Amino acid sequence: MILDADSISKRYGDDLAIDDVSLTVDSGELVGLLGPSGCGKTTLVQTIAGHVRPTAGTVSLRGEDVTEEPPEQRQVGLVFQQSTLFPHMTVAENVAYGLEATGMDPERRAERVSEHLDLVGLDGRREAYPAELSGGQQRRVELARALAPGPDILLLDEPLSALDRTLRTRLRDEIGRIQRATGVTTLFVTHDQEEAMALADRLVVMDDGQIAGAGAPRDLYESPPNSFVADFLGRSNVLRAPVDGSDPLTLSVGGRNLQFEPATDSTTGDAVTVRARPRGLSLGVPDDPDAALSVPVTVTRISDRGTRYDLICRTEDEELIVEHEAEPPEIGESRTLSIALDNLVVFDDGTGKRIDGTLSTLESATPTAQSDGVGDDEEGTRSSGFK
Amino acid sequence: MSPVDALSGRRPTRPTGLFLPALLGGLLVVYFAVPFAAFLARTGSVDILGGLSSPEARTAIRNSLLTAPVATLIATVFGVPLAYVLARKSFPGKRLIEGLVILPLIVPPVVGGAMLLTAVGRFTPIGSAAAAAGIPLTGSLSGVVLAQTFVAAPFVIITAQSGFSAIDERLEQSSRSLGHGPLATFWNVSLPLARGAIVAGIVLTFARAIGEFGATMMVAYNPRTMPTRIWVEFIAGGIDAIVPLALALFAITLTVLAAVQYFGRVPTVIER
Repeated sequence: MILDADSISKRYGDDLAIDDVSLTVDSGELVGLLGPSGCGKTTLVQTIAGHVRPTAGTVSLRGEDVTEEPPEQRQVGLVFQQSTLFPHMTVAENVAYGLEATGMDPERRAERVSEHLDLVGLDGRREAYPAELSGGQQRRVELARALAPGPDILLLDEPLSALDRTLRTRLRDEIGRIQRATGVTTLFVTHDQEEAMALADRLVVMDDGQIAGAGAPRDLYESPPNSFVADFLGRSNVLRAPVDGSDPLTLSVGGRNLQFEPATDSTTGDAVTVRARPRGLSLGVPDDPDAALSVPVTVTRISDRGTRYDLICRTEDEELIVEHEAEPPEIGESRTLSIALDNLVVFDDGTGKRIDGTLSTLESATPTAQSDGVGDDEEGTRSSGFK
Repeated sequence: MSPVDALSGRRPTRPTGLFLPALLGGLLVVYFAVPFAAFLARTGSVDILGGLSSPEARTAIRNSLLTAPVATLIATVFGVPLAYVLARKSFPGKRLIEGLVILPLIVPPVVGGAMLLTAVGRFTPIGSAAAAAGIPLTGSLSGVVLAQTFVAAPFVIITAQSGFSAIDERLEQSSRSLGHGPLATFWNVSLPLARGAIVAGIVLTFARAIGEFGATMMVAYNPRTMPTRIWVEFIAGGIDAIVPLALALFAITLTVLAAVQYFGRVPTVIER
């Protein structure tokens, strides 16, 4: 394990910027640290780099406690959101700067500078001053400068946030390439979930100074541990589901009753929240026998996203987003949304935590309900009446 | 802008809101220029070289050229680190220290001189100890340096502080993370980046030190420096008597300014 930040807290006056955060990064890993602005990501990175002293907790690098060590003894590469290239030094001098401190002989140093400028494709600009470079080139030189001394871990603190979208995507891919080429252990901080999901082997999501979730990007996306992570990693449709009966536990979702078997004993209160990703929803035919859940809706808005359409559909009291790839329906059209049960994730309404369990249809209620078609209120009453 | 203006390629003159500020500022510029021109107009009738070749004048020039650079050096060596700490750290009592730094600027120099006398005068513990050790702090070149440093040092401190403050702290953090300690970072990054401001401060401090009169007169009326000599000659011989020394003083300051700008490649004295 290269980095082990253990129970880090940082207090500024009365303000707790990070609250008992633990984070580990293994050798060669690219970990994405994701969270909204002001959630404490930068403070955490500054603590790891040694520019901020934690109020509590320890930072270990290569298995060695470095909490009291100054930044210059940590062998941590650091790239900020804004350029911190030294404006009075040329590109080559900037890249060589970190090597001077190692006492490397000048010949070897020059070689390493060339290697790293080659790596970022800027060997031709070695005599240029930072002010003569474009924003993207500055980022590249900064990467080269941070990598040249061979740091044990590279900390990238929102390195792409100040760039325009096209450049951001291009540099994002390039960072991925450079990381694979050098194998450098990397902690990549961002508030952009797309960026984090595209790059990271593993994601750590922070919220309000605490870790809200950690895991493989796809796992976090598909079964978020809580509603914060669900919201932060892309859009989801939120359906409030009142508890309609307790043995078996019955939830009323979109006017339809579903049976829910929690994996562990848990109290649910009188309502839970059910979420579904927009691509888990599809326009169905009214009497689709395969759809576990079909919700009658009216299409209210269509937004063309190039590769797909986002359909905004209304039920009686909720708005749902559907990602749709075929020809879109007309606005105002009444349709039925089909949702497969394995696309639904149940969350505790109060704590926001995910409740693991199995959802299934109430066999007895379904046929009657489906043959009756629309009119959810009526239908809801009827299915509860059946029990 | 008329089409004719556009065709002839002339820049359209826009009599916009700048007229009034320009008028007010212009009046002040005229007020600076007139005494200067009037004084220079006197030079024709005065034997400048003759005035400068008297033993008294030569001693005064020598004394000024000995003391002002020393005062500037002291102010820089102690003032720049102080400026760096003030720019980078916040600590209890920082406001007080910043207030102390500008105190010499707001206290009239002659009062500042009197304050120095009460601290290091001949009959004070410090003054008598120094005198016993053979370094009299009043009525000596050391006294002149003390007076000049007291009055002139704030310029380099304040200018350097604003120079250091303008550097993004993350540049220093990058340097630290690249393996350079705090001293190396100061030397390699902070100092070069604040160079323009520091050089400007040094020039201002030198100009203030070599022209210092009020505090010097209190602490060390003797030996004479150029400003105190100018005063003595003015009392004895009026305006014409002081023209040679005044011009010499002006020339020295200008030369230093030009040299510093040339070697330091600083565009203007007050860049920021």
